[in-house]
Amino acid sequence: MTDHDEAEKPERKSLGGDLILPIGAFLFTLYYFYTIIDVPRIAQISAFFVGTILIFLLVILAVRIGKEVKAGTADLRLGPLVEPHSFIPTRLALFGLTLGFIFFIEWLGFTIIVFLFLVLAMLLLSKGQNKGMIFGVAGVLAIGGYLLFIVAFSTRFPAGPFEQLMEKLF
Amino acid sequence: MEFDPGLFIGLFARTFTFWWVILPAIFLGLIVGAIPGFSAANTIIILLPLTLAMDPEVGLIFMVALYASSRMGAGIPAILVNIPGTAGAAATPLDGYPMTKQGRGQQALAISFVSSVFGGLLATVITLLAMPWLSQVAYYLFSVEMIVVMLFGISLIATIAARDTLKGLIAGFFGLMIGYIGADVVYETPRGTFGFLELYDKVPLIPALVGLFAVSEAFAVIENQSILSERGKAAMQKAGWSETLEGVRIALSKWWHITWTSLIGLVIGVVPGAGAAIAAFVAYQQSRTFSKTPELYGTGHVEGLIAPESANNGVTSGTLVPLLVIGIPGGATAAIMLVVLQYHGVTMGPDLFMESPELAYGPFAAMAVTYFIMIFTILPLARYMSQITVVSTIYMSPIIISFTLVGAFVPRQYMFDMYLALVFGVIGYIARKTGYHTAAILIGVILGPLLETYFLRALKMSEGDLMVIFSSTLANVLWVALAASLVLPYLIQRRRRLRRGQEAAAGGTTE
Repeated sequence: MTDHDEAEKPERKSLGGDLILPIGAFLFTLYYFYTIIDVPRIAQISAFFVGTILIFLLVILAVRIGKEVKAGTADLRLGPLVEPHSFIPTRLALFGLTLGFIFFIEWLGFTIIVFLFLVLAMLLLSKGQNKGMIFGVAGVLAIGGYLLFIVAFSTRFPAGPFEQLMEKLF
Repeated sequence: MEFDPGLFIGLFARTFTFWWVILPAIFLGLIVGAIPGFSAANTIIILLPLTLAMDPEVGLIFMVALYASSRMGAGIPAILVNIPGTAGAAATPLDGYPMTKQGRGQQALAISFVSSVFGGLLATVITLLAMPWLSQVAYYLFSVEMIVVMLFGISLIATIAARDTLKGLIAGFFGLMIGYIGADVVYETPRGTFGFLELYDKVPLIPALVGLFAVSEAFAVIENQSILSERGKAAMQKAGWSETLEGVRIALSKWWHITWTSLIGLVIGVVPGAGAAIAAFVAYQQSRTFSKTPELYGTGHVEGLIAPESANNGVTSGTLVPLLVIGIPGGATAAIMLVVLQYHGVTMGPDLFMESPELAYGPFAAMAVTYFIMIFTILPLARYMSQITVVSTIYMSPIIISFTLVGAFVPRQYMFDMYLALVFGVIGYIARKTGYHTAAILIGVILGPLLETYFLRALKMSEGDLMVIFSSTLANVLWVALAASLVLPYLIQRRRRLRRGQEAAAGGTTE
């Protein structure tokens, strides 16, 4: 096969990513059915009605993808789900920061955790540039958020050292 | 409940004198509507000490103004950053956000404001005139009919996600299964909860909304420096006041579209529990079905923005109809209004229209006046609001994640809800990247508990016979309409393709 032939060959679609959500949906539906085995029949019917339609639709999708793979017009690589590859580490780091945000908000409180998260996430995305701007934006937003949500709207956000100090002061 | 022009003129004149209540309520409503998690219902609950202390008429005007403006506020982030402020605005980004990406954010906001105001205003005036008849709609819809109405909502997903109907349906039915999580309303048996007590009371809607739209979007946009395309950036730099005026002109030129889609919202709003999300999707789907250019929907098409915005504002007055006429609130905000009015000793029902017409018709006058004031206060802001889109994703993405996740915490104040929002964020991210519609999953999550409730009621009455879903004439008519709504778009599209093929062939022959 020459280079010319390779160039003319249509690009194959990567459909592996398309299967992730359906597999999750399928496993969840089976788990849901398992949890309703012992409930009265009337309470089972609507879940079986919806779940069966979902499984039927998933089978159609699987057959459609299977046909395309068999015909050679598609493969099972993850494709768009992981592209562009260069962003995978950044995205995973941002996910880790987000998990940390939720985990620590209980102890650090809204204002401090928002400030820390904004600084770290913005530094991550900017690759360490514009530090002054980032600290300024994070500070203004954290304090602004505190004033709007906690002071003005009296929202019961998780309180930490900063909120407790402010409450004692004012 | 007869029409009395003198009463209405006096009522409107009197309501205008309460501008000092309406104006702050408008700005508060716009802010809380734009922040996911801060719905009008939550805000009214937070401000209950204030509203309970007010005179019933003033309190009602305040609540109505806040309700109407929050509905409009929810469309702002939906258009600018693809994050609906409430579930009612979930259909708004379908065409609003692509307009923003093209650098037409300012124009899209102006179109949204005009559609919301005129849609809401029109629905309010029609409600006032047609109150006795509209209130009857709710009487004809029982459990069986409501099952079909709910499935109608899901069928819309297939047509909304028309690039791949199958994926749209999978997303919708997956959402329904997620909506089924929790204890059922009749037997209180927990199902699909993974052992989490926090899920016994069903999947909370705000974390689902925050995760599917906001968190997933924040993770997706980091690939680019800005949410705007290069062409969009250039257009934004050139944009001036003329963009707002152009938006107003475009929206006004589509007055007929605003009219009929707001009427869809009004009728759906009258049905208790149906809500703005369903109305917006129904209006969007109907708009596309009858459009001469359905292929443009989803690409930043003006009519695709007008339909959901005028419909979800049409719902606003509709939800008040069953509340005032038969004492059944059409939604969460209406339910809170009921609590406040009952606190003041006001009894809902037909007697209210005879004994206190200013309270019975007052909410609609307040709504009309709110919409009227809003157009003058919010329209000039479109130019400044749209500037948010030029903010780099380096700043935008972390801001969206942190503030919306905290928004997920607000309604129930469970830490669990933030983790849940993150899980929905992952689901939403995968869905975005692989062509499943996040809005389809969300509407499934919204409709799941409702569908199940109506199913259980119908099956209880029929002693478990599934054929009960075909037992009513109205339901059967709706079944046929449901089937038609799935098949018709496909047939229309096929016919158009055939015609184009024939025209192309004829053109080729002539040449």
